[in-house]
Amino acid sequence: MHKSWMKRQSRLGYLFIGPNMIGVLLFFIIPAVYSFYLMFTDYKFMSPETHFVGLDNIRRMMNDDLFGVALRNTFVFLLAVPISMGLAFIVAVALNKSVYWQKTLRALYFMPYITSGVAIAFVWMLLFQPTSGPINGFLRGLGITNPPGWLSTTEWSMYAIDIIWIWFMLGYNMIIYLAALQEIPEELVEAAKIDGARPWQTIRQVIWPLVSPTTFLLLITGLIMTIKNFGIIQAITQGGPGNSTTVLSLFIYQNAFRYYEMGYAAAISWALFAIIMVFTVLQWIGQKRWVHY
Amino acid sequence: MEKPLAANAKPTAPHAPKGKVRMESLTQIRRIILTLLMSGFALLMIMPFIWMISTSFKSPADVFTYPIQWIPSSLNWEHHIKVWSGADTFATYYLNSLKISLISTIGAVFLSAFAAYGFARIQFKGRETLFLIYLSMMMVPPQVLFVPKFLMFEWVGIYNTHWALILPGMFTIFGVFMLRQFFLSVPSEISEAAFIDGAGHLRIFFRLILPLAKPALATLAIIDFSWHWNDYENALVFLIDKDLYTVPLGLQNFILENNVDYNGMMAAATAGIIPMIIVFLVGQHYIIQGVAGSAVKG
Repeated sequence: MHKSWMKRQSRLGYLFIGPNMIGVLLFFIIPAVYSFYLMFTDYKFMSPETHFVGLDNIRRMMNDDLFGVALRNTFVFLLAVPISMGLAFIVAVALNKSVYWQKTLRALYFMPYITSGVAIAFVWMLLFQPTSGPINGFLRGLGITNPPGWLSTTEWSMYAIDIIWIWFMLGYNMIIYLAALQEIPEELVEAAKIDGARPWQTIRQVIWPLVSPTTFLLLITGLIMTIKNFGIIQAITQGGPGNSTTVLSLFIYQNAFRYYEMGYAAAISWALFAIIMVFTVLQWIGQKRWVHY
Repeated sequence: MEKPLAANAKPTAPHAPKGKVRMESLTQIRRIILTLLMSGFALLMIMPFIWMISTSFKSPADVFTYPIQWIPSSLNWEHHIKVWSGADTFATYYLNSLKISLISTIGAVFLSAFAAYGFARIQFKGRETLFLIYLSMMMVPPQVLFVPKFLMFEWVGIYNTHWALILPGMFTIFGVFMLRQFFLSVPSEISEAAFIDGAGHLRIFFRLILPLAKPALATLAIIDFSWHWNDYENALVFLIDKDLYTVPLGLQNFILENNVDYNGMMAAATAGIIPMIIVFLVGQHYIIQGVAGSAVKG
């Protein structure tokens, strides 16, 4: 009786999960396994033969100067994450209670995050226009005679992308911080006030430590989100000028679909996976700490 | 790490206001100042959008006049007309995006709900292992999957068709996680009572759990829709023909072909953004709730 019930349960379980599992198998698991295999081949799209090349792709990656450039650009890209979080924290604390028009303001800050990355990419491209764009117009107005060339120069292009990304992620980070702030018991903040803590002290010594698990979570998930992204960069600069905005994720796309070096692209994409894995493990460890809070 | 307690903070308010009235008006002033500050910063945040819309109505000569002309001297509709007419128009892109996003979203919500129920409410062999495999798939970056999917779609013959976006779009691991979390929070007494009345899992799922989960389903639907609508990377990899283009690709195409027409570019960008702003205004509550609840998605 019990055994047949268990069997029935199992069948039902698979019935419910089955349809979704087929898709996950077809569009996630099989491609992932296939990609793992491709990493060890010299597969080029449309080429007549494919050979098993062992670790050649990985060796090539290690010696590829462009890979190093892409990796460095990726780290510059990642700088946007903590900066955006810092700004978002300030905005979230301000919007948590002590402000009028809370809902409208939240919506305004969140707006960039829901809009199409490609559309905003083109808007920023014009805003950053070096000779007559509004941003440099403003900087000249401030008395800076020689403002940066932004997206058109190799020294500044990655930082220009950072600015766009900080702007884009701010609303997201703010919403998560707001959710965390609302979890803080009112009494703690009140107690600090009664003890005579100034607002700044309350923020630093009460609120900031209490949201530190959220800070950690946002940092790790933000790094993962950022490292995967290449749409905005592809739309604005395609990795240029030179290779100054070629980040790792874009580098993979270029190798696969511009040069059709699909085996090599697979190898780099697993390097990207390795980095994401490190962040995920960190998050896993952090979460354990987080639960205890 | 600093001590998270205020107990040891020194009382540092020697000239604290005496009367309660004064204190209240002081906090009110502080509130007004903070509101103004935050509004100013918010305005800065949406400045690119305002500039975009304003530029789309300017004459070419006024695009870069400085100080910025926020209100164009005359309203030029021609750029918007250009975007919506011609060989490949935004009407086509809108229809394509709408088709892909709607079918994918409906499929994803339904299929995720089904799987999430299985994971949350049915005991079966291998459940934990399977769930772990799902979990691990969230770590795999889309770049790992692009090449194999490209080859698979090419082989099956759906490369460069909308199916290449719709079919994978119907499966979202994030959706399974989110709904599973919700289903776990539904008290088990509810289904136990139904079990005693002789109802099976299917009945409980359709008659009890799904109606209860309407807000969660709506949240997933809106978030999923926005992902599909804004998805540029997949469209970039899997679509070639212009008449199949979605809004992000159409936008890119328009800008490549009109790269000196800045007003036209901004009119096109406006067309690309408006639908999501409408979705956001309608479903704001769900989007914010869903995003706040999904910080773990990675």
